[in-house]
Amino acid sequence: MHIPDGVLSTGTLLATGISALGGASYAFSRLEKARKEKTVVLMGTMSAFVFAAQMVNFTLFPFPISGHLIGGVLAAVMLGPWAGATVIGIVLVVQCLLAGDGGLLSLGANFLNMGLIGCLVGFVIYRTIRDAIGGRTGVLIGSMAAAWFSVILASAAFAVEFAASGHWSRLLDTLAWMALVHTGIGLGEAVITGLVVRFVLMVRPDLIFDPKPEGNETAAGWARRAAPGGLAIAAGIAVFLAPLASPYADGLEYVSEKLEIPMNAGPSVEVPAPLPDYEFKALGDSKSIATAVAGLVGTLVVFGVGALMSRVFTSKASQPESSLEDVV
Amino acid sequence: MSSDAAARISIRTRYRLDDRVILLMMPAFVCLVVLLPVGQARPLAAAGVVLAFAVGLSGIDPAVLLRRWLGLTAVFGFLAVMVALGRPERATLGLGPVVASILAKNALALTAVLTTVHVLGLPRIVRAARALGLPDVPASSLLVMERYRHVLGEESARMLRARRARSFRRGRNLDWVILSGMIGLLFVRSFERGERVHAAMLARGWNGSMPELEEDSRR
Repeated sequence: MHIPDGVLSTGTLLATGISALGGASYAFSRLEKARKEKTVVLMGTMSAFVFAAQMVNFTLFPFPISGHLIGGVLAAVMLGPWAGATVIGIVLVVQCLLAGDGGLLSLGANFLNMGLIGCLVGFVIYRTIRDAIGGRTGVLIGSMAAAWFSVILASAAFAVEFAASGHWSRLLDTLAWMALVHTGIGLGEAVITGLVVRFVLMVRPDLIFDPKPEGNETAAGWARRAAPGGLAIAAGIAVFLAPLASPYADGLEYVSEKLEIPMNAGPSVEVPAPLPDYEFKALGDSKSIATAVAGLVGTLVVFGVGALMSRVFTSKASQPESSLEDVV
Repeated sequence: MSSDAAARISIRTRYRLDDRVILLMMPAFVCLVVLLPVGQARPLAAAGVVLAFAVGLSGIDPAVLLRRWLGLTAVFGFLAVMVALGRPERATLGLGPVVASILAKNALALTAVLTTVHVLGLPRIVRAARALGLPDVPASSLLVMERYRHVLGEESARMLRARRARSFRRGRNLDWVILSGMIGLLFVRSFERGERVHAAMLARGWNGSMPELEEDSRR
């Protein structure tokens, strides 16, 4: 998911770079105000934690491939949105410099996608669901759903940045493929995030970030916070529905043309190609449907697994000691 | 130490550039390479020769660079084809040369970054960036991260080894629940370590900015 150098155009690099710089400066100023001289130590050790956590490989049995945690939403759930974004930013800088993971000039775009969009939007989704469900179950399901959506939204952001680099005609195509591929990655991220959050909830629930509510919670206040969360979820769903919209429009056009000239519906009827360089025109419908189905299945699986995992909080009392013993 | 390596170190120390200059040269080179026209081999070859000279002088093993590049190219190759499909040069040059050109540009940018980091190391890069105006908080956070990256990496490896030693399992794969629990425990330990480190730093007069000696002892 790290964008290398040479993929985005100069204009896109500049736009994403300036946005990322602004976001990073604001995040640091917020953190300094909230955590004061603790900022440096907290950010340093937590970035090191995310780096170490990314070294743990999860095998996708029975396939001979493995993946690792991205950790954006996990960091945001544990430390708060701005601290989470900063942690991911520091990790991205170190990954770029030490391992060449992600380009130097694409650092801004990578931070925008994974740090700002991944953590901030992810946190808004998490908080909306957490407040709606409530309790530890809300934290668990909220963090899992947010992890899944954050991966999808980050991949959609890349698709838009790629399209803005002179590939506008292939926006829907890129969006469809990115969303399809990242459904699987997002599911893995959601499951790992959920399992880690579940563990922390059992062992040290006090470490989960919980900002003090500002005054009395009113329905209007909840709605104000829920609105961006709902918007972000809608945007995630739109990523899956957008590819579906393209062949549908062409289908209508095709039908209208057929209706106008019903006698010459054979070879003379030309179906306008929505994507000139697209080689799988015949598979367009099935691919779009597959993308939408993948999105639906992904959402249902995330919520289903989250609900299943959260039963641990209701079926039996959590036992911190036994959980610690279980691991090391 | 072989005489060859000694000579190389002697050249490096005699003609050592200021860290800030090296740090500025790296993004400048990457910008230049990214902005070079797609499909033209000569400017890329010239940039390659300059970089090869720098790699030779730095003493970094080219095999390390090659391995890293090959590892990343598996993913980047796919992106390069996607980028090439939308480039106007494809009409005149064909897909192959455009893809090769994009891959070459990426390889040069990657090599420049890895070589610079190999020569300077992360702490010196951060110090040079600080001298160039990087604010204190991100700079210090990066230094603390670099310090605890190794500590927590070792902690994570130790936990994994301990778990393997106590599990009656064959094969290398550990289950997702166990691994996630391990990450959770690593988070708890990291957070607690951060608290301890912070308290220890406060006891030693920490005020939020990393104090530094005037002269780097390694110079």
